[in-house]
Amino acid sequence: MRHSNGKIRISKWIIYLLLIILAAASIYPFIFMILTSLTQKKIMTASFDFSAMDLRNYKNLLSGFPILTYVKNSLIVVSCACFFYVVIATLAGYAFAKKKFPLKEAVFWLYLATLMMPGQVILIPVFTIMKNLNMLNTYPSLFAVILDAFGVFLMRQFMEGIPDDLIESARIDGCGELGIFMRVILPLSKPVIVSLVVFTFITSWNDFIWPLVMITKDEMKTLTLGLSMLQNAYVSSYGLIMAGATLAFIFPFILYCILQKQFVEGIALSGIKG
Amino acid sequence: MGNYQAVLKDPYITSSLINTGIYAVIVVPVQTVLSMVIAYVLARKCKNRFGNFVRSALFIPVITSMVLTAAVWRLLLAGDPEGVINSIIGLFGMEPVNWLGSSWPALFSVCLIGIWKNVGYFMVIFYAGMMDIPVSLYEAATVDGAGSARQFFSVTLPLLKPITYLVVTLGTIWSFQVFDLVYTLTGGGPGRATMTLVLTIYNSAFKDFKMGYASAVSMVLLAIVLFISFLQKVVFRERDEGRRKHV
Repeated sequence: MRHSNGKIRISKWIIYLLLIILAAASIYPFIFMILTSLTQKKIMTASFDFSAMDLRNYKNLLSGFPILTYVKNSLIVVSCACFFYVVIATLAGYAFAKKKFPLKEAVFWLYLATLMMPGQVILIPVFTIMKNLNMLNTYPSLFAVILDAFGVFLMRQFMEGIPDDLIESARIDGCGELGIFMRVILPLSKPVIVSLVVFTFITSWNDFIWPLVMITKDEMKTLTLGLSMLQNAYVSSYGLIMAGATLAFIFPFILYCILQKQFVEGIALSGIKG
Repeated sequence: MGNYQAVLKDPYITSSLINTGIYAVIVVPVQTVLSMVIAYVLARKCKNRFGNFVRSALFIPVITSMVLTAAVWRLLLAGDPEGVINSIIGLFGMEPVNWLGSSWPALFSVCLIGIWKNVGYFMVIFYAGMMDIPVSLYEAATVDGAGSARQFFSVTLPLLKPITYLVVTLGTIWSFQVFDLVYTLTGGGPGRATMTLVLTIYNSAFKDFKMGYASAVSMVLLAIVLFISFLQKVVFRERDEGRRKHV
């Protein structure tokens, strides 16, 4: 008995050790990124000289590049994407879940079928449409592409679970259609709305291929696109690139630290998309 | 139809299809098995603060952009003997490798980063599925004398089948959509060693301005993605019916 206990303890320590290695492998690249951003290294090594670290790269980034404009653009795109996605998805999701209208199921499944189409496949048609509408280099060209059928699907699935009795009793109490939506449906859907917002934040903040084709003007670039441009233009200024990368990392990371649970749920939800 | 004939004859399309295929064949099985095993260990053996910490840590790569990830990994993979990855493999007595400068190591690096980025995501999906499995099933298995490995294969694995299908399908579809990673890490090079389907679409449309040709390549991508989804549906249904007949 004693022997097998010892065996279990050893296997437990091996599991812990492996998990620590995995966690380290996930975190280390980001620590490396932050440390490199504080140095003027020309050759990449695993060791760091902590006494020679300073914020010079960040100063150069702020003075030499419109990096704050990139941050502003990213924040505008993310906010618009989140706002419009929530408005569209909750309203349409509510209609698909609780309202009766002709061909409801057919319209819903047709709409849902658009999710089968990966973004890259419609890259060229969407680009051509935006170009003909003179919408290249505008914010709507960047957030409109984020608004797909997924949010509507998510909301419908959730709102179907809200009991009809609640809606009926609100109506008897004198609530109008808008009142029912604002005072009954929205508050009840709060958790799934938060998940949708988090998911949209990450998707639009990290989006690369759409800004890459839609944006040519420097003053309209998002931070993710700006980082890629920075990397192509200053291949060997490692510290500078890593300072830009740290900046792009810090916004989602802070949000992740605050809303960890919603993050994991919101992003895991996107798995339904497949 | 001229565009489609050109696509079918183009050796570059063939090579980017092969690269994308190799990427999928390496990445999908590795990330599926790895994320499943990690999720199992975390859900069954490590339901404490340490386990939560590991889960949170593995999820950090998921929230960052592929562009950022590739920019950081480019430095980690730097070809110098003192580079981080080369130092690590040096500990095991291996020679330093010029990771991004030669064909096979470059493709391998792309796969490695893809796995590193995706494991946290799929682990969370598996973890959620494992939490739905009633503890009583494991208790019954323990009473019947089944060890951890036996429990994994006889209880966890069969119940996770739908989620595994989802992870495999999603992983395969994602593999055929790889773009940000190769664009940032290698630009498709060296030569065309890491050229992927979507990078070919982007280059022909926005560098060579051959929109019609790029659209034809897009249709190839669409056909592949639809085929994978269709395959999943068929496999799913067959398994489902099989089970029903059994009962």
